[in-house]
Amino acid sequence: MNPVFTEVSEVQYNRFVKRWKDEGKPVAGYTCSFVPEEVFHAAGILPFRIRGFSARETTIGDTYFGPFICSLPKCMLQCAGQGDLRFLDGTVIVPGCDSMRRLDECWRKAGTDIEGILPEFFFHFSVPHKYTDYTLTWFVEEIQRLIAAVEEHFGARIREEDLAASIKVYNRTRDLFGEFEKLRTRDDPACSGAEALSVLLAGTSMPREEYNVLLEEYIAEAEQSSGISGKTRLLLGGSASDDIDLVKLIEGTGALVAGDNLCFGSRFYEGRTGEAGNPVEELARHYLGHNLCPRMYGDYDRRLSLLMERAAKAKVQGVILQNIRFCDLHGSENGLLEHEFESRGIPCMRIEREYGPLVETGRLKMRIDAFLERIQQGKVRV
Amino acid sequence: MRQETREYNFDWMLWSCFSLASQLSAGTEKEYRNVLKYIPYFSGAMEKLLGTGEPGRRFIGITASYLENIINARERGRKTAMTTFCFSPALMYAMEVVPVGLEVMTVMMTLIYRRGTAEFLDFCNEAGFTETSCSSQRGALGAYIGGIGAPIDMIVTDTPGVCDTNANAFAFASAYMKVPFFSLDMPPDLTGSRSDRFHRDDYRALISFLEEQTGKKLDTDRLKEVLLEVQKQDVIIADLEELARIIPNPLPPVFNFMIYASRFLYAGMPECTGLLESMRSAAIMNVEKGVSGLAGGKENLRALFCYIDHYSQNLDLWRMFDEYGITTQGNILSRSWASSAPHVKEFGTEEAAYTIETGDLDALIDSMALMNARMPMVKSIRGPYDAPDMWLQDNLSLGSMYSADLIVYNGTPGCRNTWGMVKLLARDTENTGFPTYIMYADAFDERVQSWETTKERFLEFLTVRRLL
Repeated sequence: MNPVFTEVSEVQYNRFVKRWKDEGKPVAGYTCSFVPEEVFHAAGILPFRIRGFSARETTIGDTYFGPFICSLPKCMLQCAGQGDLRFLDGTVIVPGCDSMRRLDECWRKAGTDIEGILPEFFFHFSVPHKYTDYTLTWFVEEIQRLIAAVEEHFGARIREEDLAASIKVYNRTRDLFGEFEKLRTRDDPACSGAEALSVLLAGTSMPREEYNVLLEEYIAEAEQSSGISGKTRLLLGGSASDDIDLVKLIEGTGALVAGDNLCFGSRFYEGRTGEAGNPVEELARHYLGHNLCPRMYGDYDRRLSLLMERAAKAKVQGVILQNIRFCDLHGSENGLLEHEFESRGIPCMRIEREYGPLVETGRLKMRIDAFLERIQQGKVRV
Repeated sequence: MRQETREYNFDWMLWSCFSLASQLSAGTEKEYRNVLKYIPYFSGAMEKLLGTGEPGRRFIGITASYLENIINARERGRKTAMTTFCFSPALMYAMEVVPVGLEVMTVMMTLIYRRGTAEFLDFCNEAGFTETSCSSQRGALGAYIGGIGAPIDMIVTDTPGVCDTNANAFAFASAYMKVPFFSLDMPPDLTGSRSDRFHRDDYRALISFLEEQTGKKLDTDRLKEVLLEVQKQDVIIADLEELARIIPNPLPPVFNFMIYASRFLYAGMPECTGLLESMRSAAIMNVEKGVSGLAGGKENLRALFCYIDHYSQNLDLWRMFDEYGITTQGNILSRSWASSAPHVKEFGTEEAAYTIETGDLDALIDSMALMNARMPMVKSIRGPYDAPDMWLQDNLSLGSMYSADLIVYNGTPGCRNTWGMVKLLARDTENTGFPTYIMYADAFDERVQSWETTKERFLEFLTVRRLL
């Protein structure tokens, strides 16, 4: 694998972002997969998905957030507070969930205590919790509100044709990921799960055109690969995880993550945005309609069937569903999904963990080993 | 869950307790005192409620009748809807649907059962629901998903955009029990034409859902009747809120609990109106006598609860208020956002309030939609806490209007939304001059922190800040 994927996925201010900034162009961060990156792309702004992986502690996060809060937004705030995200010219906060929505106020208040950590453009982007005609209307208006705010703040002009062109660029990525998924899920997968996550994550932190080129090269190379065989195939699902070390830990003992359903992973690239209609409406339909996050209440059955489809496509022998502590949305849905997988004869394990650098390696490794042993014993019995 | 817990339906057991308790004051004083010996675990709660006289008697009575409606719904040909405290049941009464409010039933159980809802809380975890979820829904939910409650026909909630753990509990229940689900969604902006339009469209979709589930069309006359009753209730609540401004506060502390509980149980129904009227009469009598509503008669402190109360067994929180001369100046649950409310007039926040219009069906539905969008929690914590008409503004204005000496936060560890901003709120309210105490207890689960510890820490705060 091209080492650039690893570098980009593991360094906040990576060389692409640095070069972009050196050219005098702005970077806008966003916290959730419901934000249409195409809006920023069309404005000549680099969309950058905010992650919290460079936090080594949560002292700043804990100062503003209460104790019973998911560690992901705490780590994001920590990164902002310790200056890792100073390169951001703007930020879009989404009420993706209750923990994440309060990053808005916590970051703003931290910004009054720590100089220079609050981007000048700070936008609260409201996303409905269901897909209907009137929620779609709301979301179309919300995207228009975002466009107007971006235009005003950055002095950019986002025309319909610019948006249409950006949609094409992002759809190219989605098409490439279709091919990538095929390579990943074939009988002898072309890459490990850790590599796959690196590749997926890199796309959120670098200019999209360059990423598409790198991705094309990677796919061409991977097609020639002899592949990985003899491993226990797993699907990794659940709440937001950009933790490559977690995947490495899972794969460290004879397993292969052949598929995922992660917000930072394959789920992010699900489906294509329509190119025929009004670009804003097409973006609204895509981003509100294709996201498999349990924050979309009452849509469990659809998520279940898509997840089952994904597990079948990846030919997995077991499923690991993880959630960050206090993520009740994924945690509870994982409880339901566990029953569904087990009732279909697919071993499933739920794990609760903290976001951030693996501090629970021993505990998790022991559970993963036991789970793999269970799958192996099942095979022997058959 | 223990086998013996499964022997009887949970809601039937609750009804049985409250139904018998509603007859406690019917006999002689000697009979009453004798019966208390046989209900050691909730004699304190009954004494506290019945000690208020007519209001307490009525309160126990309407609690029993609410439960009776649930356990007999099927026999009476009514559909049941599992719902939440911050969803006005008025629409359900207008459509002859029996509301099954999870949180109110959790509270009923925590007040009178020695172990509270512990077994049901834990059963939810066995079923796959997270232990970090809010205990207010999880308590009663465990009984229903465990199959020891009245059959549930549909699930209706209005907390997406307001409280994830609440909305998620109902979504989980729907998936687990395979019951139809509808949720009203709440945008972060309370006011403005865009939000108003959204609320109205969403509410119409809710009515269509209820019509589909019940097989009955919404009856305009019935809806009007219910809304006129709500209007009447709003006027009485406004009177009670006005009375609570007086120093000393003439309302017994437990009245605050009874005000919001009556709305959660019977908004739009005469049962609620009757109780509110009796509370108003009792408070006016205290004003005429020039006395405080506190049992000890002396008001030492006025506490504004910025979120919810603590529902330990036997109404311990309210007993503590009486013991230390602390009046409760309301909380997020008791506050009415009708345009007739005194704080709305005082601060000119009419746009953030609702008005009931009964001209035609559209006006009725719009009124319901905007009223529901201003239910407790739904109104105040949907947007950034420091945005106009949100949590901070509400607390600062209410704190000054009700001459609060301190602000207290109490919730549950499951309340992701408020725990994400309560430290910021406390910083701002402290800076404005309100000593602010954050309780780390669980309002519905004493296993998290015992009432004794909760009380001790609260009193320690009052002592350290020289408030007592």
